Amino acid sequence: MTRQLNTPMDRGYSLVMGTLAVIGLGILIVPVIIVLLSSFTSSTVLKFPPPGFSLRWYEALIDPVRSRHVHVALSNSLWVALSATALAAILATLAALALNRASRRSARAMEAGFLSPLILPGLAFGLATLMYFSILGFRPSLNLLIAGHIVVIAPFIFRTTLASLTQLDPALHESSASLGAGRLYTFRRITLPIIAPGIAAGSFLAFVASMDNVPVSLFLSNARTNMLPIRMWGMMETTLDVRVAAMSGALIVVVLVLMIVMDRLTNLTRRMSM
Amino acid sequence: MSGAATGETAGVEWRLAAPLGLTYLAFFAAPLLILLVMSFSVDDNLGGFSLAAWSKFWGDPFYRGVVWDTLRLGLVTVAMTTLFAYPIALLFIASGPGLQRLLLFIVLLPLLTSVVIRTFAWIAILSREGVLNQALLALGLTTAPLNLLQTELGLVMALMQIEMPLMLLPLITVMQQVDPSLSDASRALGGSKWRTFRKVILPLSLPGWIAGATLVFASATTAFISQTVIGGARLVYLPTLIWQQAMVVYNWPFAAVASVTLLVAVLAGVSLFALLGRFARTA
Amino acid sequence: MTDLTRRSALKGVAALGAAAALPLPARASTSLNAAIYPGTWDEAYRAIVAPQLKAKHGVDVAFDTLWAVDQVTKVRAARGVPPFDCFVLDPGPSAAARQAGLFDPIDASKLTNASKLPAGMIAPDAVTVNVQVVGICYNPKKVPNPPKTWAQLFESPYVERLGLTGFQTTFGTVSLVEMAKAFGGSATDIEPIFRKLKEVLPKVAAVSTPAALPGLFQQGQIDIMYTNTNNAATLKAKGVDIAFLAPESGAITFSTTLHIVKGSENRDAAHKYIDTVIAADAQSKLQLSPYNMIPVNKDVKLSDNLDVKSLDEVAKMVTHDWNVINPQRAAWIERFNKEITK
Repeated sequence: MTRQLNTPMDRGYSLVMGTLAVIGLGILIVPVIIVLLSSFTSSTVLKFPPPGFSLRWYEALIDPVRSRHVHVALSNSLWVALSATALAAILATLAALALNRASRRSARAMEAGFLSPLILPGLAFGLATLMYFSILGFRPSLNLLIAGHIVVIAPFIFRTTLASLTQLDPALHESSASLGAGRLYTFRRITLPIIAPGIAAGSFLAFVASMDNVPVSLFLSNARTNMLPIRMWGMMETTLDVRVAAMSGALIVVVLVLMIVMDRLTNLTRRMSM
Repeated sequence: MSGAATGETAGVEWRLAAPLGLTYLAFFAAPLLILLVMSFSVDDNLGGFSLAAWSKFWGDPFYRGVVWDTLRLGLVTVAMTTLFAYPIALLFIASGPGLQRLLLFIVLLPLLTSVVIRTFAWIAILSREGVLNQALLALGLTTAPLNLLQTELGLVMALMQIEMPLMLLPLITVMQQVDPSLSDASRALGGSKWRTFRKVILPLSLPGWIAGATLVFASATTAFISQTVIGGARLVYLPTLIWQQAMVVYNWPFAAVASVTLLVAVLAGVSLFALLGRFARTA
Repeated sequence: MTDLTRRSALKGVAALGAAAALPLPARASTSLNAAIYPGTWDEAYRAIVAPQLKAKHGVDVAFDTLWAVDQVTKVRAARGVPPFDCFVLDPGPSAAARQAGLFDPIDASKLTNASKLPAGMIAPDAVTVNVQVVGICYNPKKVPNPPKTWAQLFESPYVERLGLTGFQTTFGTVSLVEMAKAFGGSATDIEPIFRKLKEVLPKVAAVSTPAALPGLFQQGQIDIMYTNTNNAATLKAKGVDIAFLAPESGAITFSTTLHIVKGSENRDAAHKYIDTVIAADAQSKLQLSPYNMIPVNKDVKLSDNLDVKSLDEVAKMVTHDWNVINPQRAAWIERFNKEITK
């Protein structure tokens, strides 16, 4: 036992893995800290390091007059992202279930096919989609945006759900079926609980990808359906507007609160069910 | 499983795949078809038939080089992301619930900052007077500021930050489902930590890694904004080329060739990952 | 795929198509969609033009924030279903859009302020609403002795602080043409600038997209760049250390123009929009900080915050013929890609 815990090899392992983890976490977190510090600047323009700190840009961001167009763009983006994610989650989960067991070559081709929107450069896809809808006679609208976003984000959910499905023991499925359980019942009680984390992770990625999508939104939005990332891009590019940083700061706080709340709720339910 | 049962499940499964398949048919395959037709057209009116754009693209070593550079960027980003993602995932698995929650939040953080502001942060880090250069100077690791911005190294770092969550989320999801007693057993049988990692953790977590690597590879090769802003004009990748040809030069057939090429090339890469997955599952 | 799935596939496509078609917005005749550049232009037109247009003509204008090249691409892709009614363009994209036949004619008799513009600013399909002036910008704190000519940008110590941009924008293109002239070239012979670029590239601080320049400048990666007075003044007003300088060979000028998109269903409202923009009322406000747009209406006296003193001064600046430049541009861009790539 002591040999296992203290060999130089093992210490080397812990050292290497520990160091890499710390550097990795640094890469994840340092840029975000820079964004947060910049968002609290007292200056009139984005600059790092900020000359002083204030909350002025958060006030500017929530100001209903000065930031009205930002709020409009935010609500458009939220609506598109929520609708597209919800629809994509249903479609992609079904598709992942369908392809999980199939080992035929056609299934493998389907799998690559379902992932392919990830790979098509967004700009080309946006351009071609606008041409396509125009040929059909549709003008850009929120619904077309949702359709475009579903295609772009569904692969995230499909991929993560498929990954968690590989963990599903086929024996579980069969024993449930042999006990006379219906397909839907088996899905709800056996499959869903196991793949739920995969669906959740994919949906999160999908939602974020939709909120931050520039190229598809650029072509499918119109003057009445401004989208948030396009608007922020313009604010950032020419005027180094600090509200762009404040928006990220606000989003981080919202997600932090949501995570804490959800954590409380799930703990609560766990305790209740015991 | 009996033959009859296989036949039955296969039938049911296609019906499950249909909704997404049809959505793709309507909103993805059709635009894709337009791109394909465009690549063989004389101009952006989709008229005529010409191989000019294809022969110009593939006949020029510069553009072939751009294809290779783009794929290499994807591979390097996947490799570097893997290098840091596994240790973080192991740390996550080994942590208690409190630390796990904190780690998860850190992993999600980059996704909560818009690409627009993220590129600014990376300029602040990588520029001549940036955070990283100042740290290196203070530590005495360099005597003059290094050129990090507009290099492949800087670009890969910036890409790693945003791609890491795409690797970590599926990796952690799968690793959490791996029975911890397996690695305990390996340890109890006298396996070193390295050996346990190689023989137990790595193979069992492979589906998660493949899912992550697919997302990272696809996302890094098409990350137009990071590539142009952090990478600069001296690093040319396919998305930049597509942008230039479509938006500035208005050579849509050429842009379509570049798009179709990117799609096929990256799809080949991703299929390789998927094949790895089948192999790992049957092995 | 079986026949059954193929048939249901088609049905599905039709159903989805129908669902997407439903919310076509009813277009009231008093509403107008106009493209506008992101940033300052967007803010200025929302704050000044939109309320004036509403008050004077009862027209509601909504803005689609797009750069010039994005506007032209979007309209081309939309094939006769115009995604907006008015363009705002610089000469490069404007010439390209004209060549592609994307403009509807403008009826000058419907513009009450037409006579207030200098001669030549109203074309059959374009109305100049603002002139841009391009020159050298630098950080006065870090570059106390700024370069005075285009050629000096490529000498030490300036070149090590220089941020370059390629041929994809109007201002980038004309600046590079001026640099070519400085080394003995012309608008039809830009060989000299390519030779010079090759020589100095290892020393240049950044070769970048225009979009990244303000960030690079603000974070000290570059201290010298070339841009228009409008951008420089906006950044300066926000507290960025930036100063504008006209090179000895003269600053570059070009016009920004409004156009009506081919097939627009709101031609009346579009004329009213253009008329409102060129009226003294709007022009005198658009020139103030933080917008800093150089006015073209003869009744407007130029304010002090601008880097030019009068329209006569602008008339003496360097101009370019885009009918000469545009046919060469694709080749220039390709060459720029190939020669500057690492």
